[in-house]
Amino acid sequence: MNQEVIFETQGITKYFGGLAAVDNVDMKIHKGEILGLIGPNGAGKTTFVNTITGMLRPTRGRVIFKGQDITGWPAYRVGRLGIARTFQIVKPFLGMTVRENVAVGAMFGHKGKTRTTRQALEKADEVLEFVEMGHLRNHFADQLTLAYLKRLELAKALAMEPELLFLDEVMAGLNSREIEEAMEMIRKINASGVTLLIIEHVMKAIAGVTHRVFVLNFGTELAQGSPEEVLNDPRVIQAYLGEKFVERQRRMQQASPQQ
Amino acid sequence: MKKSGELQNSPQAASKKVARQKVLLGLVGAFVVLLAVLPLFASGFWMRTLTLLFLLAAMAEGWNFIGGYTGYAAFGNVAFFGIGAYGTALSMLRLHFPFFLALLVGAAAAMLFAVLVGLPVLRLKGHYFAIATVALATGVGEVADFWTDFTGGAAGLTLPFFHPIQLSNYFFYYIAFVLVLFGLGLTYFIMKRKLGYSWLAIREDEDAAKMMGINTTWSKVVAFALSALMAGLAGGIYAYWNTFVLAEEVFKIEYTLQMILATVLGGPGTVFGPFIGAFIYYILITLLVFFLPVGQLHATILGLIIILVMVFTPQGVMDFLSGRKRLTLSALLENIRTHKV
Ligand SMILES: Nc1ncnc2c1ncn2[C@@H]1O[C@H](COP(=O)(O)OP(=O)(O)OP(=O)(O)O)[C@@H](O)[C@H]1O
Ligand SMILES: [Mg+2]
Repeated sequence: MNQEVIFETQGITKYFGGLAAVDNVDMKIHKGEILGLIGPNGAGKTTFVNTITGMLRPTRGRVIFKGQDITGWPAYRVGRLGIARTFQIVKPFLGMTVRENVAVGAMFGHKGKTRTTRQALEKADEVLEFVEMGHLRNHFADQLTLAYLKRLELAKALAMEPELLFLDEVMAGLNSREIEEAMEMIRKINASGVTLLIIEHVMKAIAGVTHRVFVLNFGTELAQGSPEEVLNDPRVIQAYLGEKFVERQRRMQQASPQQ
Repeated sequence: MKKSGELQNSPQAASKKVARQKVLLGLVGAFVVLLAVLPLFASGFWMRTLTLLFLLAAMAEGWNFIGGYTGYAAFGNVAFFGIGAYGTALSMLRLHFPFFLALLVGAAAAMLFAVLVGLPVLRLKGHYFAIATVALATGVGEVADFWTDFTGGAAGLTLPFFHPIQLSNYFFYYIAFVLVLFGLGLTYFIMKRKLGYSWLAIREDEDAAKMMGINTTWSKVVAFALSALMAGLAGGIYAYWNTFVLAEEVFKIEYTLQMILATVLGGPGTVFGPFIGAFIYYILITLLVFFLPVGQLHATILGLIIILVMVFTPQGVMDFLSGRKRLTLSALLENIRTHKV
């Protein structure tokens, strides 16, 4: 894998009142990789993404994209620069058609300035074919099921033609076949040259598509490394499943015959 | 995976909708032609009534930019009307500008005010924005009322009559009519462009809009300034037509409520809604004044009607005309159930 760093945070910190939702996080994302970001509920994953994409201002720390310091940039400039994201709580434009929803990304995103409205609509059709939603293009977003709303989030972000894409739990609420489809799509997106950071609670997906995993707990880094390393790290298991589970596992190991 | 047939509003329904929109476009077109030739046989009373209606329609078209498309409940747009009226009158009286130049000055003043005020105020959301705009409009009205040296204060400003006087009715009828057509054209033009898409995106979800690369501050300020352009032009025309400008008159909150009501009656966020809504509004108040012992329609009554319309049919009559919904009691009740306001 290419080791060129495309994106980096240095000591990024976000306080809500007295609570440090994100605390002094240093993260490097390498060009071309799929980095998984995991951690228990409330660990600060979404807040981390909000803070580095301009939705929230960091309390402290720096954000660097392709060598440029973008700390505190407004979200629209971050978006135009080539960073896109999806929202964990989907944010469809309900009163617009699926096609128009996606066209907004093509109009204002990374290459938006080079496109006319019509070209943006054509780009939207292209993206909708890619995510297999072409047949829904003239539907209004308020008529979509949750699975399709999640996929619409993805299509809107893809239409921005980002170099770096943050996916915040695009698989939550999907059934196992839909998860397989989403994993396949993530691989395809990555193969087309997009660097990804994916937040996910579905461990099968994390193990299946990521090259590297970063773990947040109580807003700070708990571990990082290959998916196998990290997902078998007792500290990570403990953070996810609590003390009791780790205890039980240890006892079970002790009870089993020694080799 | 769900197939499209399982969802409502299939592509077939969409093509039916397009056909219906064509019929609607034809009807509006025929109506516009009728209005264009109307002065050939209409009485002076009807022409003056329609002139007033056109000015309302133009202001509603302007309110539609910020309130209908961008989704910001602006409750102070009368400020732009008043500034347009004063700007035009003062340019004619103090600077001796010809009317059309003065009109542009008035409209430019209204737009400038919208930009200066919009930058801070458009950061507010929902009720806070609404309240701030009411407060601003009231404040500007007070300034106009008390700044006697500049605005003439309570004595008002008196403008020269239009010459030749026998053509006055025609002149104001057509200029107001052209303003309405300009508003329709401008709306149509913008909504085909990126600016229009940015407004809709902001209305539907401002955070998502931002993240997708939309400079929301800029888009909102432009929407606000264009609504000021329409109201400012209407104000300037009104000033010259009325030949008298008084703060109490041109900053009346009723005007704001009228433009909102016309828009929501017709259909906020649609090209023809405000125009159609202005007619509905006029018919409605004529009936109300006729059947109810109100004599005059006060702000309270207008406010009450706005609430009723917003509750029962937040998309106005365009919802039914465009074929998105059928006009039935259940559709009206459905609107209450799924209420988003
Ligand atoms: N706008 C906010 N104001 C105050 N506190 C917040 C805000 N947003 C998040 N928090 C708090 O910050 C912490 C981190 O929340 P965050 O949503 O980032 O976690 P997460 O890792 O994304 O969790 P999940 O897996 O449930 O999505 C939580 O304690 C949450 O309650
Ligand atoms: Mg989250």
